Amino acid sequence: MDFKITSPKNKAGLLKAMQEGKNFRFGAGYTDLLMELKKQEETSFTIINLAQLNDKTFTEINTISGGLRIGSLATAAEIVNDKFITQHFPALQEAAHSLASSQIREVATIGGNLCTASPSGDMACALMALEAQCEILSANGKTRTVPISGFFTGPRKTVLQKKEVLRSVLVPLLEKNRKLHSGFIKVGTRRSMECSVVSLAYHIHLDRNDSIVHAGVAIGASAPTIRFAKTACDLISGNNLKTISQKDKEEFAAKVVSYASPITDIRATAWYRKEVLFNISKSIFE
Amino acid sequence: MKKELRVIGKPVPKHDAGIRVTGKAVYGHDIVLPGMLHGAILRTEHPAAEFTIDVSQARKLPGVVCVITADDVDVNNIGYKRDHPILKKGEANCTRDEIAAVAADTKAIAQEALKLIKVKYKVRKGVYDPFEALNEKSPQINKFISGKFPNKNIAEVFHYEHGHLEEEKKKSAVTVTRRFSLPRMTHTCMGTSNITASFNKTDGKLLLYSSTQVPFLYQRDMAHALKMNPSDIRVIQPVIGGGFGSKLDMHPFEPICALLSIKTGRPVQILYSREEEFIASPTRQPMIIDLTAGADEKGNFTFREINIIKDNGAYTSWGATTPFVIMQAFSSLYKVRACKFDATAVYTNNVFAGSFRGYGNPQATFALERIIDLLADELKMDKAAIRLLNANEKGEITGQGLHFETCGHKECLETVIEKAKGKRQKHVASGAEPAKVENPRFKNGIGYASMLHVGGGAKIYRSDGCGTTSKIDPYGYCTIITGSNEIGQGSETVLAMIASEELGIELKKIKVINTDTDVKPWDVGVHASRTSFVAGNSLLGAIRILKDKLNKKASELLQTNDPEFEYSDNKIISEKTKTTIALDKVVREMHFSEPNELAIASFFYEPSSKFQDKDFKGNVSGTYAFASQAIEVEVDTYTGNVKVLDIYVAQDVGKVLNPLLLAGQIEGGILQGVGYALTEELLMHEGKILNPNFHNYKILTASDIPNIHFYPIETNDKQGPYGAKGVGEAPLIPTAAAISNAVCDALGVEFLELPMTPERVLKAIHENK
Repeated sequence: MDFKITSPKNKAGLLKAMQEGKNFRFGAGYTDLLMELKKQEETSFTIINLAQLNDKTFTEINTISGGLRIGSLATAAEIVNDKFITQHFPALQEAAHSLASSQIREVATIGGNLCTASPSGDMACALMALEAQCEILSANGKTRTVPISGFFTGPRKTVLQKKEVLRSVLVPLLEKNRKLHSGFIKVGTRRSMECSVVSLAYHIHLDRNDSIVHAGVAIGASAPTIRFAKTACDLISGNNLKTISQKDKEEFAAKVVSYASPITDIRATAWYRKEVLFNISKSIFE
Repeated sequence: MKKELRVIGKPVPKHDAGIRVTGKAVYGHDIVLPGMLHGAILRTEHPAAEFTIDVSQARKLPGVVCVITADDVDVNNIGYKRDHPILKKGEANCTRDEIAAVAADTKAIAQEALKLIKVKYKVRKGVYDPFEALNEKSPQINKFISGKFPNKNIAEVFHYEHGHLEEEKKKSAVTVTRRFSLPRMTHTCMGTSNITASFNKTDGKLLLYSSTQVPFLYQRDMAHALKMNPSDIRVIQPVIGGGFGSKLDMHPFEPICALLSIKTGRPVQILYSREEEFIASPTRQPMIIDLTAGADEKGNFTFREINIIKDNGAYTSWGATTPFVIMQAFSSLYKVRACKFDATAVYTNNVFAGSFRGYGNPQATFALERIIDLLADELKMDKAAIRLLNANEKGEITGQGLHFETCGHKECLETVIEKAKGKRQKHVASGAEPAKVENPRFKNGIGYASMLHVGGGAKIYRSDGCGTTSKIDPYGYCTIITGSNEIGQGSETVLAMIASEELGIELKKIKVINTDTDVKPWDVGVHASRTSFVAGNSLLGAIRILKDKLNKKASELLQTNDPEFEYSDNKIISEKTKTTIALDKVVREMHFSEPNELAIASFFYEPSSKFQDKDFKGNVSGTYAFASQAIEVEVDTYTGNVKVLDIYVAQDVGKVLNPLLLAGQIEGGILQGVGYALTEELLMHEGKILNPNFHNYKILTASDIPNIHFYPIETNDKQGPYGAKGVGEAPLIPTAAAISNAVCDALGVEFLELPMTPERVLKAIHENK
């Protein structure tokens, strides 16, 4: 394992590294990248190491008008322990908590989880249900924002251009102190150190009478990318969470499953993934 | 018999715990010798192929010192049946097959050299199904067998029977027949396979730093492979990062490393990567078990008829001999009047298995305990009651000739049934969410299983003994030189405790030397849960002789004719005269006054067990261990996930020597058993391993650990040291069977295969609808 590495300390340094670099990869928590590097004796690319970057828009979790800004270098552990996230975005907190193991959560970043663009990314799945925005910084210093629904373009592929880096994730907060039904369901063989076989994130806003005001539901490990189950969300809007009929629950689950086009691999068959997705979709009302 | 025990039975921490947790332990991977080269092995790309090989480019690479293929070496085949070439010539039959090896200045150069070796393959259609291999039209897979069996792909057969099978069939009120299927599980030792070989060209001697579990058999096997004299080979064991049976066989990489050293005259080290460990280290034997069993109308077991097909892989390892143990479970676990047993090991182009904790017994127990539940269902009998009715008893001599001089089977069963009963009732009664009762997502079930395993060694080699030399130095320190070795099971600690107990010397003054075949006396090795029993008895024998010498001198010095001395607090005490003398003083007096003698004694212990006759009958072990488990599970019918809630385990350990180490063995074994039941399987397609990594080979993690409630049963076997029996393998053996019974109880389905992955469970639920 032999590779070149540059460690910018601030934004200017980062932009410079991005401008000058011809063939580079970003490293933050290295939970994926290190595995890749170990397999290669020499790498053709330079690593731009973000771990020493001292820039609050990359590193901090802050409330902003209309929601929350999560720096792409925020670790899963920081997200797990963030009180605001726990209160307002339980789906994200639970997703971060279900990730790998406590050791890995200390170093794995939310940005890495998004940019690696795995169909089974746990935090990515929660952020999809939360309808987050991705703030992208370009080597020329400009930023652009894309909705997360447009961020993933395929397995391991994103809209990020060659000289772009994900700076922050913006999570909208529709209304403070709104009643929520929000969570993350991860299905796998064991309870930690697991890559989701199927996952489901849901973030449902309720009024005082438990009527569904707005719903966000996303699925992971069931399609080439994480997907937002729009028609399923539309179906339950206006329904009452407590009195939703068995028929509607099943129709909702069927609509969620309609977004799935899972593969059969050594971890599970497509049949299993669909079957379980249906069951866990139903289970959010139980 | 002595008074109260002072050290034995106390929770003494492991002797080597300190060096292990502080990173000071020297594993094989840490060894660096002057001028050492790094070895690497090229394996075939195809599990069934003919090939030609050209290593000329690799030899030219700067930094490469030696490249060998089958053409460069003069060696014998290895393996239990000597059917395994160390380097394969012209033909590959298994994805592990070693076709060339390199020794180079660095690991990177060695890897680079492997890439420069040109191999041309002519791929053949492999045979990956043992039943297909038995078809006359299938090609012969292993060309090195004796040909004593009618079918060319049979590696080994076993036949055993007792009782009147046909008569018992007629007497049976119920009969159940099922086919059970068991997967490949692998050991996943934390320390990957490793060896450092150093051949000295001036004296022709070979020094090996090896993680073998059986150094003296290994020395012999290595000598045979390399056409050397065994005594010219010295085996030193560094700290071993896990054995579990995987290091019972000598594997090709070991003589390959020795050959590289012999060729170069320099030390050579081979270390496996994790991926290589998954691909090239052994597995538990996969097998198909056809079992028919019967019971009379009262539930007494009448007969068992067993036919096993074992996928032997391309070569024969010790794993092929697992029917020795498997047939004990079928012939003798619970009383059964007749038994007919056949097992056939069949060559395929799959990877070959080795030995693995339990040695076939987890497979046998799974089939047997599943079918007991099915018999109980047929008889509409309680599943606990049918087991109690048939449980083994003290004094029993089974149809196979196993003599249970002590037997805790019934007590084990009663204990776990009782403990689990309260729990289960509580679960039903509490009914936390009554709304869910009608169509509950989570279903609970309980399952029982027992096991019988050798507990006093196993005479499968001509000797099952162990030698010990014990000495006390002039400063009052004791050194135990034992034939047995430490592979993490805690034998050093137990032996030090025995010496401390007997000699009244504190633990920190006791040293255990156990790593060098040039120094230590003979021992058959670490297997069959035998070390505490056999090495413990051997040490007790040596101490007896040593004490005779010390007593003689003490009598003289204390001017007493007291035959009963007490050893305590580094002193020898005469009970009769109430006089004492320091132990070290006695040792010095022996040494420095005439007739000038050292405080040293040697003893060889051979268990009372017998080599079985050709019909596999005879009392194969010094004593037998029993255990029962009751396991409660919760099944998520939405995902198929099985959560193991509580495991109640009662085990006849004879006598608790060290409760801390015992708990470690019990918990570790059980967790390996839970993995076998639920998650662990080496997946293969056409001879290739699909999941050679911890990502997809699922061992359980800390968060999956159930509550383990352990109840030791002490039967005080007079054969064992202080009454103890072997404990190491037992906790793993019944776990998968009990979990499987619990899942079937929860869902009303039939599970006949392992592991019960979420997908298989969900599928079973669907098929049962």
